[in-house]
Amino acid sequence: MSVWRQLVGQEPAVAVLSAAAAGEGMTHSWLFTGPPGSGRTVAARAFAAALQCESRTGCGECAHCRTVMAGTHADVRFVEPEGLSISVAEMRSLVQTAARRPSTGRWQIVIVADADRLTEGASNALLKAVEEPPARTVFLLCAPSDHPEDVMVTIRSRCRVVTLRTPPADAIARVLIERDGIDEERARWAASVCGGHVGRARRLATDEAARSRRAEVLRIPVSLRRPDDVFAFADLLITAAEADAVAESARRDEAEEAELRIAMGGDGTGRGTAGAKRAAEAAVNQLRKRQKSRATRTQRDSIDLALVDLANFYRDVLVYPTGATLTHPDHEDQIRSAAERWSPESTLRRLEAVLECREALQLNVKPRIAVEAMVTALARG
Amino acid sequence: MKIRVERDNLADAVAWVAKSLPTRPSVPVLGGVLLDAGGDDGDGALTVSGFDYEVSATVSVSATIAEGGKVLVSGRLLADITKALPDQPVDITVDGARVGITCGNARFSLPTMPVEDYPQLPAQPQFVGELDGHAFGEAVAQVAVASGKDDTLPMLTGIRLEISGETLTMVATDRFRLALKEFTWKPADGVTGAAVLVPAKNLADAARSLGAAGSTVRLGLSSGEGMLGLSGPDRHTTTRLLDAEFPPYRKLLPSQYTSRAVLDVPAVTEAIRRVSLVAERGTQVRLEFTEGSLRLAAGGDDEGSAEEELPVTYEGEPVVIAFNPNYLLDGLTALPTDQAELTFTTPNRPALIKPLDDEGKVAAGYLYLLMPVRLPG
Repeated sequence: MSVWRQLVGQEPAVAVLSAAAAGEGMTHSWLFTGPPGSGRTVAARAFAAALQCESRTGCGECAHCRTVMAGTHADVRFVEPEGLSISVAEMRSLVQTAARRPSTGRWQIVIVADADRLTEGASNALLKAVEEPPARTVFLLCAPSDHPEDVMVTIRSRCRVVTLRTPPADAIARVLIERDGIDEERARWAASVCGGHVGRARRLATDEAARSRRAEVLRIPVSLRRPDDVFAFADLLITAAEADAVAESARRDEAEEAELRIAMGGDGTGRGTAGAKRAAEAAVNQLRKRQKSRATRTQRDSIDLALVDLANFYRDVLVYPTGATLTHPDHEDQIRSAAERWSPESTLRRLEAVLECREALQLNVKPRIAVEAMVTALARG
Repeated sequence: MKIRVERDNLADAVAWVAKSLPTRPSVPVLGGVLLDAGGDDGDGALTVSGFDYEVSATVSVSATIAEGGKVLVSGRLLADITKALPDQPVDITVDGARVGITCGNARFSLPTMPVEDYPQLPAQPQFVGELDGHAFGEAVAQVAVASGKDDTLPMLTGIRLEISGETLTMVATDRFRLALKEFTWKPADGVTGAAVLVPAKNLADAARSLGAAGSTVRLGLSSGEGMLGLSGPDRHTTTRLLDAEFPPYRKLLPSQYTSRAVLDVPAVTEAIRRVSLVAERGTQVRLEFTEGSLRLAAGGDDEGSAEEELPVTYEGEPVVIAFNPNYLLDGLTALPTDQAELTFTTPNRPALIKPLDDEGKVAAGYLYLLMPVRLPG
């Protein structure tokens, strides 16, 4: 199966990238931008596979394609922030390995999953490498947008930008049906409410708990009536997001741990395996530390996701009279009644409050305080 | 996969490969060793391989192959198991997602990892020449002492290998000292010159284990010169080269000297070890040369101090020169002979240590350059 099949509804970008992999318009640094969930890192990974692929097409069958997609290829480095940012030390060592010639592949490839999370120092370290890349090195950076707040202009100006679009709901539904074997009705529903986030669509389609948490968050705007509801709802939102994050982390952590344990020989049976067991435990402990710092990030991300859901609700209320496509079509009744009750000005103020809360979280405000402030503003209108 | 191998061969092979595996693999599959029976070369052998993106190690072991195949298992666990096996033939069979190891009455069952996820091993680079394994191991050890341990200066963590016809030169420096070894070897036809920088640790490890086997070591360099290959009988390893400029060291080597001392290496090293006990880490040991004697001193007024005097042959003006005791010891202990020559000009210019043969002549091929430490006051 071709590696490009992993990308949902990104035909224009795939055309550009596969042409580059075949040798047309290749360059040393690429910037993948697009809304969350559109598949920036998937695109970067697939592109890396196609660049290393034996047939230069991203066949998905050759050893190069398979190892790139599995994240084990010797000449493809994948960096993602474990905490909330990528440090300069991490970037420096990366730039050093990036300077090497490929050992088995055609290129030495570095994928930076969240280039918007580079610290300023890290950006500068990367800039030097992007400015004068070694002959066989390719940088693939992923960021939500090419806005200077996300990616330094000096880096941006040295990259070829590939913009991913919000994948059409039809394409998402098709993938859910074909790849994940989800029944059509549920797939269509999940695709219509996920806001173009493919991973979230799959979660909503497969995970009952995720569905009910989304429903709870979307209950906030209409049920928020009295001032003393504020704390209850702020609490609800945070608990929902935390539960989401815990579920998400647990799913990943367990799989990683099991894999590492096998690799380090932690669960062999038989005589003389004690030494390996100890080494495995040490490695697993180190992994747990990394997972813990990643969990902080997952929690932030899932609060953000809940806030986006909320913001989209207000956006729907605002645009409802114009008849535009809704992001929460399954809540049309509530949206209609809210549109009738609230003045556009007050809806807009509420929308602003949600966006301010997202910004506050970016600036490291304690989530509970930021969310309480937001819910207060939502209640006031 | 269904094969039978000799216990000792298997244990040696797995132990050697497992040694180069990372203790904290960045991706889990790198903690595994790949067992490939009747693989691409199809010579009825089992190959055991490990790879951590930097260094790859492959050993072939003769085996009776009933059914070929590949399997990836934890290297650490397999090494522990094979080490403990009784001395009987070992049967390895793959059954679904587990691999069974039977040896005598002992039976083991190990989980496997997906072979498709295992990175491709780099190809063995093109043959450029061969040399005696023992001499090679010794030479690398003599040079590696001077290599830097600081990863932020990658060019100093390597050993430079220079091929110039029949001469092979190895150099390493960490800015404070420099070790150089020159010897003859047998280059392959058509190989005239090349210079590469090899991570010192990787080269030292490979040279030690290949040199211990006592046979000929074959050197290979990949066309892009990004890879160095070393192989002994049945064992192959590759290591990625450092892509950095080595300092132009030849012009640093002093061509003249005004003072020359002949040292009895065992006596001097013993004395330095004793005296430097009071020199806090990284501080200096002072060498006071006068005609016929060397006084070693370390420490100062506010801490402990120590002195020791030994007879030496010394030509030159009386002088006091100070060195980092560890660096000085490294140089002296790396020498192949018991007599050494220390030459220098002034206490702030580099000194040279060279081995002397039984007749008191400089034994060509090795030198250790050492920067003195500034004297207080």
